[in-house]
Amino acid sequence: MTTAAGTPVAVHQFIATLNPHDATGTHALKLRDALRAAGWRSDIFAEAIHDDLASEARKHWMYPEHAAPGDVAIYQFTTSSAVAGYLAEQGLPLILDFHNFTGPEYFTGWEPRSVERAAAAADELALLAPRALLGLAKSRFSQSELRDAGCRWTEVVPVLADYRRVAGTPDPRVAAELARLGAEGGSDILFVGRIVPSKAQHELVKAMWAYRRLYDAKARLHLVGGTSSFEYTKALQGFVDDLGLAAAVRLPGEVSDAALAAYFAAADVYLSLSAHEGFGVPLVEAMVTGVPVVTRDAGGVRDTVADGALVLAAADPSYIAAALHRVHTDQQLRSALTAAGVRRAAELSSDAPATRMVELVAAAVRTA
Amino acid sequence: MAPEDPRAYVEQVMAEIAEEVRLRRTSGDLPPKLERELDELFLAHSPVAGRGGDLGDALRMVDAATFIDPVVPVESERAAGAAVKKGMRSLLLWYVGWLTHQMSQSASAVSRALHIVDDRLGELERRVESQSVPPAGVVEFPALVHAEAWWVGPAVAAAAKAPGRVLHVACGDGWLVRRMVAAGGDAYGVDPRPRLVDSAELGGLDLRAEPVAPHLRAVAPAGLAAVVLSGTVDGMAGTERAQLLAVIGTRLAPGGTLVVHSVTRQAWDSPDAPPEADLAPGRPLRPDTWCSVLEQSGYEAVEHAGPGGDDFLVVAVRSAITSPYEPAER
Repeated sequence: MTTAAGTPVAVHQFIATLNPHDATGTHALKLRDALRAAGWRSDIFAEAIHDDLASEARKHWMYPEHAAPGDVAIYQFTTSSAVAGYLAEQGLPLILDFHNFTGPEYFTGWEPRSVERAAAAADELALLAPRALLGLAKSRFSQSELRDAGCRWTEVVPVLADYRRVAGTPDPRVAAELARLGAEGGSDILFVGRIVPSKAQHELVKAMWAYRRLYDAKARLHLVGGTSSFEYTKALQGFVDDLGLAAAVRLPGEVSDAALAAYFAAADVYLSLSAHEGFGVPLVEAMVTGVPVVTRDAGGVRDTVADGALVLAAADPSYIAAALHRVHTDQQLRSALTAAGVRRAAELSSDAPATRMVELVAAAVRTA
Repeated sequence: MAPEDPRAYVEQVMAEIAEEVRLRRTSGDLPPKLERELDELFLAHSPVAGRGGDLGDALRMVDAATFIDPVVPVESERAAGAAVKKGMRSLLLWYVGWLTHQMSQSASAVSRALHIVDDRLGELERRVESQSVPPAGVVEFPALVHAEAWWVGPAVAAAAKAPGRVLHVACGDGWLVRRMVAAGGDAYGVDPRPRLVDSAELGGLDLRAEPVAPHLRAVAPAGLAAVVLSGTVDGMAGTERAQLLAVIGTRLAPGGTLVVHSVTRQAWDSPDAPPEADLAPGRPLRPDTWCSVLEQSGYEAVEHAGPGGDDFLVVAVRSAITSPYEPAER
């Protein structure tokens, strides 16, 4: 690939943190592979790099040692980072790969540091969006935010993810524990995501309380995921205790891929009541594994699940409880949701999104 | 077995779920009051500001915490533990009671003071609300604002001089945006009247149904090459107009152009004026006043009078040396 002037072009990615187990890190690695396969030079530059990926990326400030005329930058925008200001200074032709970020309003009163960071992310988006040749959003919801920030050319392409991690061999120890619980009766409801106010795990607890009271007294709720909000987690645990649900609501924290596979394998329903989601990788993981999904319509959720989930407009506990009961007991509905979910997941996990991204990047490079 | 038409079946299920909830609620299985109590129970664990920072909620927490119980619980899992604790409580009760009485008195005084502050703040909010000036809506004179109007050509030409994004405020169905795009401009429109934008034939046009000031605040500093205002500023009160011009000043690039189409007082007061003109909190500025205001804000302004004396155009070019990052209007 060359520019209009005929010079070779490298398309490098910049990212705040390159982690092996998060959606953005996986996305960046898969995009790099796709760009290389298309014939570009492509490296990853990051503010922070996980030890396991030390050989996959360089620190962002090392970029000048590798810079060449005609370089194009793709910025994986997820949160506030020094990389944003660095890119603005470099003045490279820029493509924003926008994963969305949780707005400050969701952290107000809980995590002052997160409020500041989210506000800074909004400023950085406003700084970079008008300069971008192209903005790649993961949902129409995110596309709208990109446009509002001043991005002139925007397109929607799903996250490039490795959904096979949840379809692998389940961790035998976790699987055995879940089987033991399952033998006691009651359904297993699953949610995967960081424990933070925007994911609204307290709404899940309320729904579980109503579901147990009205339909299934032995039901369990598994809230899998680490936390970045100590105050919210503390409040959630206190709430669970007050409702007498300490044995029914389980918070195993962040787990391995194999353990996650065990949770999906044991789940009867995947339930998400997040107030804000830019895309929602775990929703797709549930669909991949054939777990019926019930979710609140928030942010980019509807774009992600399409017709592969039961999308509810409200999060009232009684409403959610009734939906859970129906999905758990109505075999016809389960079949319909599972089939549609598997179909939607197949679309999202095909090669098509990566191919589309490379096409769009090529088109943007031609305008640089 | 999968249903023949899964979408239709899911819709049917949604309706049945809603009906099930309605029946449950009316039967008293899960009354709405119980759901509210769930909310309150969770809020009791959240930091005060997590309740939205409402002073009334914070005071309810203070009230609940004001009373300090001097009677220490004596239950114990160990044999004789309860008796020992009970003995200690009896011995210490006169002292603990004396301390907690004073602490409760102190907390009650603080709580009373906070309630007075809450009442006075509420009264202040009511007074401010009664005196606040509502924001002006779009006041459009159909005879003066249309695709064939005399000022459209000069406005399009002025906006085209500055390379970059051009915003038409109060874009309606996008008639001027369409014209500017046809002239090769990178134009888009914003209008606070969603009905007009929703019914527009977009045909690739970028039109947004949004309030004007929040939209401009979301635009990056120096992100616009030109702004065209029509029907927007005539009915604004002074403060609102000044705030709008301030935010435009930070969003226009140095050397950018501000085009203002306005009506004269004569047209504003004529019987043909739309009813919005009568209801607006402000009145149009004279052409000279516009030029003076804009020149004081760092523009070079030129006035073009309309042929019928009913309207005029002001084309103002922003100084090229002004920093887009000051003042910090965000």
